[in-house]
Amino acid sequence: MPLLSVKDLTIYFNTDEGQITAVEDVSFDVRRGEILGIVGESGSGKSVSTKSLMMLNGRNSQISPESRLILETDDGPVDIASLSHVKDLRLVRGHSISMIFQEPMASFAPAVKIGKQMVEQLLIHTDLDKTTAKARSIEILSRVGIPDPELRFNQFSFELSGGMRQRAMIAMALSTRPKLLIADEPTTALDVTIQAQVLALIKDLVAEFDMSVILITHDLGVIAQTADRVAVMYLGRIVEQGTTRDVITSPQHPYTQGLINSRPSLDHFEDPLTPLSGDLPSPLERPQGCVFHTRCAHAIKGLCDTQKPPVIGVAGQDPTDEDAHNTSCHLLSPSASEQVLVS
Amino acid sequence: MKQFGSFIATRLFLAFTTLVIVSFIVFSLMELVPGDCAERYLAFKNTQGSGISVEDIEAERVRLGLDRPFVERWGKWLVNAFQLEFGRSCILRVEISQLLGEKFLLSLAICLASLVFAYVIALPVGIMAAASENRFLRNTLSFVSYFGLAMPNFLLALCIMLFSTVYFGNSMTGLFSEDYRDAPWSMARFMDFLGHVWLPIFILGWSATAFALQTVRALVSDELGKLYVTAAKARGVTGWALLIRYPARHSLNPIFNSLGFDLNRIFNELPIIALILTLTDAGALLIEALARSNDQQLAGAIIFLLTASIVAVNLLSDILLAALDPRIRKGIMI
Repeated sequence: MPLLSVKDLTIYFNTDEGQITAVEDVSFDVRRGEILGIVGESGSGKSVSTKSLMMLNGRNSQISPESRLILETDDGPVDIASLSHVKDLRLVRGHSISMIFQEPMASFAPAVKIGKQMVEQLLIHTDLDKTTAKARSIEILSRVGIPDPELRFNQFSFELSGGMRQRAMIAMALSTRPKLLIADEPTTALDVTIQAQVLALIKDLVAEFDMSVILITHDLGVIAQTADRVAVMYLGRIVEQGTTRDVITSPQHPYTQGLINSRPSLDHFEDPLTPLSGDLPSPLERPQGCVFHTRCAHAIKGLCDTQKPPVIGVAGQDPTDEDAHNTSCHLLSPSASEQVLVS
Repeated sequence: MKQFGSFIATRLFLAFTTLVIVSFIVFSLMELVPGDCAERYLAFKNTQGSGISVEDIEAERVRLGLDRPFVERWGKWLVNAFQLEFGRSCILRVEISQLLGEKFLLSLAICLASLVFAYVIALPVGIMAAASENRFLRNTLSFVSYFGLAMPNFLLALCIMLFSTVYFGNSMTGLFSEDYRDAPWSMARFMDFLGHVWLPIFILGWSATAFALQTVRALVSDELGKLYVTAAKARGVTGWALLIRYPARHSLNPIFNSLGFDLNRIFNELPIIALILTLTDAGALLIEALARSNDQQLAGAIIFLLTASIVAVNLLSDILLAALDPRIRKGIMI
């Protein structure tokens, strides 16, 4: 049994301009002890879909009734989407699931001591008293590599450096020993050298805390170094999914290929940058058929713009296999090539 | 703690410096008024029928020390002002401290009470209005506060007077009943005062509350959307603990910052209300001194006292802010 199994997750936002589909039919599993990377541009729905695991998507969001978000807990499987009471939601808010955010500065309350925020979380989720909670907090601050943890415990977030803040954030997230850590662009706001340290720390902690991680990023380099498996998202859909090696070495979906090609390279100084052509469509004008067809160089008229592509196992793999390399693209489906021939 | 101490010391020094600068400006303004105190008094005497010569004016000038250099007179005025001594009124020839004393304190007390009244209501209601998911409640509250903003204080005062005259046969004006107007302070006089003073406090607090309500609601709404609130929610913090400890607390900064400004606004409205409610003990004297009698000694004293009150409230709000927000205490943010 995977730790988390997301099936057919669809999320709408009700806005003044109408209903927006932010996430559509997304399915993925997170297994125990693995790091799942989710990669995509801003607006691809990677944050929205993971925030739904903690039901943090705001009042105007709506999860479709078919969506299943099954989390394995000590007391058996729980469907997160069925949790409605705030007290029940604590299970996925800081107990079994914790989250760290892109900007560590903004995710600590500026006028509350770091230690106070840590102790607060422990008092909510454990039976510890204040003294033990403080000791546990200092211990874990020290574990994530913060020197002089007693001092830091009594400081405010603005008194720490960027890297230290993100370490403190990780310490706070892990203090309740969650089963799943969601890291939403945890290193985007950090220097490259600090980024490497923080990623290494997260990798170390996975084994030590026996947890799984969902790592959200737009940086394929971060994914390549850190994640075991990766899901590529575009406009609210997963377009390709598989082990990191498979997806990065042999990307199948035109979008994944575009992402990889648009990375600036350190080896080829003279090469021009190759950005993906076209712009991200407005969320109010969601493309019919394959969501990527408006920017796809190989789009087949009459097929890609009308029919949603099925999930296909690459090179004849069974798409339901654990490590299967899947993609959703008409170009790779056998029936599509026939259509091309006919036309 | 040491940081907090030095913060307070710095702020005290700044407040003192501000007052010295203010006193310079006020004193210069007093000097700029055409004619001086000696001329004004003797001119006044003249209208009463006594003949005045140039020598009389010169003698009066020397008597009042007006022949001394500007800096010396300013220095003297400043030192006295800090001891709440403002000399004599140019025309009434009475000690200003005696003339103002109770009246100024009463005015200040009414304004401060209105300020407290405004925030005691605006803080909880504004926080509720920002956080509530009940659309009806939110809309009702914003309607009420817009109504409060739109309705001028003096109109409200007139309405209440009309209403109470028609239904209770009492126009509710003044700060004291006939019996207590000139009586010395006693428990009975104080109770009588309380029975009257709530009305000007209510009327002055009315628009201040509406204004503060809008501010609090907007600030808390702003904070609610910040990442640290989402992060706290993601840690399982819920309900009041979430609302009070995170967005509400962090929205207090700008509110405290504007306390001095709020007090100033209320003070500005006081004379009109005082006029309507015939509060001869407050407010009206300011207009009288500034406009009618052209009495620069009295006017200068009033302006200085007003500024000093606002500086004092600002100092207090700075200290409160520092107690609340470590960024200010530690000098990161000013």
